[in-house]
Amino acid sequence: MKFYKDHYDVIVIGGALAGLSSALMLADKGKDVLVLERHNLPGGIASSFVRGGIEIEAALHEMMSIGEKDNRLKVGKFFDDMGVDIEWLKVPEAYHASLPGLEVTLHPGLETFAKEVDAAVPGTYQKVLALLNLCNSVFDSVNELSIHPMSKAKMLIKHEAFVKTAGYTTQEVIDSFDLPKKAQDLLAPYWIYVGSGFSDLPFTIYSVLMADYIGYGSYIPRKFSHEMSLKMAERAEAMGVQIEYRQHVDKILVKNGKAYGVRTSRGDEIHADYVISSSYPNKVYTAMIEPASEVPKEAIKMVNGRRLSLTAFSVIMILDDTAEALGIKDYSVFRGDTMDTDALYKDLAGLGPYRYLTCICHNLGNDTATPPGTCSYSITTLPRVDGWKTVKAEDYDKIKHQVAEQMISDMSGYLGVNLRDHILEIVIETPMTVNRYTNAWNGCIYGYAHTMEDHIIARLQTAEAESFIKHLEFSGAHAISGDGMGPAVTNGRKAAKNVLDTMAVEEAAAK
Amino acid sequence: MKIKGFLKDVTGASRVTKARLNAFETASAVPETTDPIAEVVREWHPAKFDVVVTAIRDASPTAKTVRFERVDGQKLPYFYAGQFIVLDFVIGDSIISRPYSLSSAPFEAREGKGFAEITVRRSKGDGFIADYINTDVKVGDTFKAMMGCGQFYWEPLRDAKHVVALAGGVGITPFASMAKEIAHGTLDFDLTILYGSVASNDIILKDELEALQGDKVHVVNVLSGDEPDWQGERGFLTADLIKKYSAPDTTYFICGPQAMYTFLREELKKLDAPARRIRFEVFGQAKDITAFAGYPQELKDKTFSLTVMRGIQKDVIPAKATESLVVALERAGIRIETACRSGECGFCRTKVLSGSVYVCPENDGRRSADKDFGYVHACAAYPTSDVTIKIPIE
Repeated sequence: MKFYKDHYDVIVIGGALAGLSSALMLADKGKDVLVLERHNLPGGIASSFVRGGIEIEAALHEMMSIGEKDNRLKVGKFFDDMGVDIEWLKVPEAYHASLPGLEVTLHPGLETFAKEVDAAVPGTYQKVLALLNLCNSVFDSVNELSIHPMSKAKMLIKHEAFVKTAGYTTQEVIDSFDLPKKAQDLLAPYWIYVGSGFSDLPFTIYSVLMADYIGYGSYIPRKFSHEMSLKMAERAEAMGVQIEYRQHVDKILVKNGKAYGVRTSRGDEIHADYVISSSYPNKVYTAMIEPASEVPKEAIKMVNGRRLSLTAFSVIMILDDTAEALGIKDYSVFRGDTMDTDALYKDLAGLGPYRYLTCICHNLGNDTATPPGTCSYSITTLPRVDGWKTVKAEDYDKIKHQVAEQMISDMSGYLGVNLRDHILEIVIETPMTVNRYTNAWNGCIYGYAHTMEDHIIARLQTAEAESFIKHLEFSGAHAISGDGMGPAVTNGRKAAKNVLDTMAVEEAAAK
Repeated sequence: MKIKGFLKDVTGASRVTKARLNAFETASAVPETTDPIAEVVREWHPAKFDVVVTAIRDASPTAKTVRFERVDGQKLPYFYAGQFIVLDFVIGDSIISRPYSLSSAPFEAREGKGFAEITVRRSKGDGFIADYINTDVKVGDTFKAMMGCGQFYWEPLRDAKHVVALAGGVGITPFASMAKEIAHGTLDFDLTILYGSVASNDIILKDELEALQGDKVHVVNVLSGDEPDWQGERGFLTADLIKKYSAPDTTYFICGPQAMYTFLREELKKLDAPARRIRFEVFGQAKDITAFAGYPQELKDKTFSLTVMRGIQKDVIPAKATESLVVALERAGIRIETACRSGECGFCRTKVLSGSVYVCPENDGRRSADKDFGYVHACAAYPTSDVTIKIPIE
């Protein structure tokens, strides 16, 4: 029996958003692509599951970089260009911030947002708008420079804001605006989606986050993130990509510093000119490269020199009444007993109680999310892997339930409703759940932390030198653009572009 | 514009690049190969492992309890009382999987060498694996196993502290597991098992369950047959009987034959219990698919051609209209991974590339986008024409 062709142009390890984006882009250029996914469906954590007959979103809160149909941002445009036709629903608000002394709902649109902040903290309109405009300017530069690189001198003239903020932390730049603390607090809630405290988060990343989400709003697919993942997979297959599920890649085969194939756990050795790995570099360089002698010392130093970012802990519930009846008013609520991101980041290294929670009620962004008379409600925190790495198997269930109980109790207090009296279905997702379904290193969903030592601009500058094995690219949250489902798509496209560029160079050299 | 000063502002990019290179330069060159998160996952949800039968005993005149240990000397995985094990049976050229609720308790899997038990009743003609277990399986036989499956367990954040279990036939097994764990002090709720049987000698695990009775475990056997000497409850598991053993806030767990589900759905309506307090174990493979609404009766005697794609490998096999795609594949010796065999878990998620199938409405646990693109759970899908499917390579 023969399940695979003798040779592929590219093998993609992992059929989640990044891997599928790579596959789509390569297939679009006529390349012969094989995607090997260990689970029996596409998407990784961009997925859904069914409990008690009700479909439940596994992970997606808000998708960035989509944009309106006639004014798409880069991810939305990529889907359109590839013929991946997703029913996007615009999330009604940016977020409701529930912080000490603040209960404020903020909406997308830079001016709208600044006005709403001003209404809560009078006299801040001009400064908040100026900060958001600065973010927007950096965001535009990042998008343009990712397509058209240019010299440093030219960059300083055309992309002044980008250049001049590049070396600063988010806190340093925000401080230069001299905003009252409450206004600063209202500008901080999304920090968790980039996973670093403001004293270590590059302002460049904060800019992209704010300009994208606040400037253009966020979106969800009607049929959960599985709609997005499945439509990408279906489109890729229609374009000739071979996707095989339940195939676990054990080894990446390397000879003379160049990848030439993979071996799966069922023993298939499959050959290709290029390999794109969604597996973390940590796993690839420490366990997957065969022979291990092909791994240079620098690769190990690189993964050891980087800090893993956040993982996920989520209590997902189907409640037996409507959002309205339960007093749930907002699609997303960010609730913290402080908005000191550095203190919160420190807490995330523990096992709770977690002081910063993100709550999503899908029904308020998607009127078909659950059957009539019910609603879905999730409470999420994104801990660091550090605390969870200390959990022993025998204590796992107890700790998982303790953390979940605390989170439910906190939000019950906030809503004035005992959520435990309304649970039809409950699923507790932990770092272990992430690892179980995706095999992500340490259950980490966010790749490497965006820090001043691991700055996106530095990542771009040193990318070529960090390509330790030829014809092997990385695609996933651990790649240059970092975490989140939108950046996953960008990371996947970047890996495909690197492959296409190398192909072009090598073909030219061969002629 | 100015953040801190021209020179400092414009040198930011080179500053952060230097910081990066410095961080790598000073990092350790020793590979960090352990993933502690993955280690916990391996103890809860390991990949399939080999088990060996270490004991077989009678659980009733018509049922046997089979005990397993792991072959590799490792401990069995953690699980929740009420969950099932999936065993792979190699029969001829076929590998056939079956889910069985574990009748042993979670603590028994972890104490000492650790063991797990299933209790299986000889069938009345429709379950050849059940008969195989009762007649052919011997001590020393080995099987591949997967554990920790299913959603039928008491969840402390959701369920009431007072539980009434409604069991029929071999559906007693998940409650035996719960009762043992409660009696052991490692699970904390009040469990009253209402166990319906026709005759007293049909009662499975009778002595073991009676020995577990105590403050928190109560077993009430209910006989529907005519047995003059019977001192206990009689009749069916009616709303009145269930009410008698209920507390003001009770969660009902139901596990038993399909006919009992139909009966109990009506009885439970009379109790006014909220939906969140009623939890049915999965339905199981439909005993007679032609009995479901919308099944195309005119096709029931047909056999269709089933084209199976695994990667670029193509095979063509026969598929009876009244048997699920999974059964057709297993008959032909084509491996497909299954777990619940009730359409719920999605392990056998399969793409229908062409042709049509009938999906058992009782067992349609598909994602909505999957329905749009012709995916089925092969254990709950029946061919209604020649069909081409794509399944994972196993």
